[in-house]
Amino acid sequence: MPMVTPATPGSTSGTLRVPNPPSRRLAGKSADRRAFIVLQGVGKTYANGKIALRDVDLVVPEGDFVFLVGPSGAGKSTLIRLLIRDEKASVGHVLLDSRDLAKVKRRDVPRIRRKIGIVFQDFKLLPAKSVRDNVAFALEVTGTPGRQIRPAVDRVLRVVGLRDQADQLPSELSGGEQQRTAIARALVHDPRLFIADEPTGNLDPLISWEIIQLLLRINEMGVTVLMATHNAEVVTALRKRVVALDDGRIVRDEIGAAYHRED
Amino acid sequence: MLAFIGFSLRRAWQGFWRNALMSLAAMATMVLMLVLLSGLILMLAGLDATINYVGERVQVVAYMKDSAPKADVDRIQLALQEMPQVTQVKYVSKAQALADFQQRQPGDAALIDSLPSNPLPASLEINLRDPSDYLDVANYLRAQTTSVDSVQDLKVTVGQMIAVANVLRTGGIVVLVVVCLTVLFIIMNTIRLAVVARAQEIEIMRLVGASDAFIRWPFIFEGALVGLFGALITIALLWVVQAPLTNFMSDFFNVLPVQASVLVGRDVALIVLGTGVGIGVLGSFLSVRSYLSR
Repeated sequence: MPMVTPATPGSTSGTLRVPNPPSRRLAGKSADRRAFIVLQGVGKTYANGKIALRDVDLVVPEGDFVFLVGPSGAGKSTLIRLLIRDEKASVGHVLLDSRDLAKVKRRDVPRIRRKIGIVFQDFKLLPAKSVRDNVAFALEVTGTPGRQIRPAVDRVLRVVGLRDQADQLPSELSGGEQQRTAIARALVHDPRLFIADEPTGNLDPLISWEIIQLLLRINEMGVTVLMATHNAEVVTALRKRVVALDDGRIVRDEIGAAYHRED
Repeated sequence: MLAFIGFSLRRAWQGFWRNALMSLAAMATMVLMLVLLSGLILMLAGLDATINYVGERVQVVAYMKDSAPKADVDRIQLALQEMPQVTQVKYVSKAQALADFQQRQPGDAALIDSLPSNPLPASLEINLRDPSDYLDVANYLRAQTTSVDSVQDLKVTVGQMIAVANVLRTGGIVVLVVVCLTVLFIIMNTIRLAVVARAQEIEIMRLVGASDAFIRWPFIFEGALVGLFGALITIALLWVVQAPLTNFMSDFFNVLPVQASVLVGRDVALIVLGTGVGIGVLGSFLSVRSYLSR
C-alpha cells in the first residue's frame, strides 16, 4: 500500500499532514513510543444507574492500530464517547495526547474533536449534500476560509478514491462509497486519532476489506487507529492488537491476536 | 470571522425558507404586534402633544364680576401665586381685554364701538404647572363668590384627555405585553422546529469539532431575520397609511397641530425595528439555550 506523500513539501494546507516528525515516526517503531491514549482506573456509571465501564486501564501508543472487540453492551461505545469527550468518566482519568479530558473546558472540546476523526456504522452523511459538500461541511463549520476548503476536500477525496463521485448524492452511492465519504470527512481535519465504530457493520465482506485497507493506509500515515468491531474475520486475519471488553471490563489485551481467545 | 458570519447568515436564510410556513406565521404575528405597538405609540404621542398644547397655551381663566372690589381681586391673585400648582398669574383689566379683542379681531372693532359700554369682563389668567391640577385651582376660584363670576370650564376636557391617555397607556401596555409574550413563544417554537430539522447536522457538527458559536448563532440569526422582516413589513404598512392617518389624527384632535411628523415617523420606525429584531433574537436565544444545552 503506497504512502500518501505531500504534493508540495513544506506546505501543510494542501496535503495530509504527517502528524509526527520523521524522527518520532522512526522512534514509534520501538517499545517506548509516546502514549496517545491513556485510561487509568476508568469507570463510567450513567445517570440511570447503568454501569458501562469498570476499572479500565488502557494505554495506546501513538501510531498504534487497535481493535476493540466484545459483545454488544460491553462498553465499547462508552469508551469511544469518553475519548471524544462526549461523556466524562465517573472515576479515573482519561488522557488524550497527555491532556486530562476531565479538565478540558467545555469551549475547548471542539479543538479536541478536530484532532479526532470518527466514523460510524450508519455513516451519518447529510442526504441533501453531495459527497464533496458532505466533506466540505466539516471544514465550513469549523471556520475554515472558503478558498482553503476546495483543495482540502479534493485531497481527501483522492485519498479515499472518490474523486469521480464527488458530485453525487449519498443516495446514489454504494454502502462502501458512503463509508469512504464519511472517512474522507473524518480525515479532512488531519486527525491524529481515527476512531471507527463498527465501520463495516452495514457492508458486505468484500467492501468491508476495502474499508479496512483504507484504515490501514491511514494508520501507515502515522494516525493512531481505534476500531470497534464484531468482524471476527478481519480481526483474526490482521493480527493487530486486540482489546476485548466484556461487561465493562477489559478481559483481554493482546498484541497480534485473533478475534477470539486462542488458548 | 468572515467565514463565520457568512456561514451563519447563509444557514439562517436556508432555515428561514426551509420551514417557510412557520417562519411566515411567526412573521405575521410579529407584524401584528409591531402594528399594535406603533399604533399605541402614535396615539399616545398625539394625546400627549394635545395635552401639552392645551396645558401650555390655555390657562385657567377666571372672569371677574364688574362689581369685584380691587382689594379682593388683589388678594385672590396673591393667593393664587402662593399655590404650588400655579406658575404664573396675570390680571387682565376690562380695558386690556377690550384692547386684546380689538387686536385679535380688527374686523369687529365697529361692533364694539357701537356698544354703550365695555362688555368684556376683567379676568385672571393662570398658568398651571400640570394641567391635571386644574380642579384644585378651579374649585378655589369658584369659592371666591364675591369677585369671581365664572371659571372657564373648557379645561375639563384636559382632565378627560388625561384620563383617556392613562387608560390607553395602561390598557395598551397590558395588551402589548400579552401579544409580545405570544410572539416570543411563537418564535421560540419556530426556532425549536428549525433546531429539530437540523438535528442530524448538529450531531455531525459536534463530531467534527464545530464550536458552539457555529452551532448556535445561525439560529439566533434566523430569529433576528423573522424580527427584521416583520419590522420592515410593519414600517412599509405605516408608510402606506401615514397620510390617511395624519388626516384622521388632525380631524380627531381638531384644530390642534398634531401630525405624524417626520421625526415621530423616524422614532417609531427605529422602535419598531429594535423591538422586532430584539424579540426575534431573544426568542431564538431562549429556544437555542433550552434545546441545545449540551
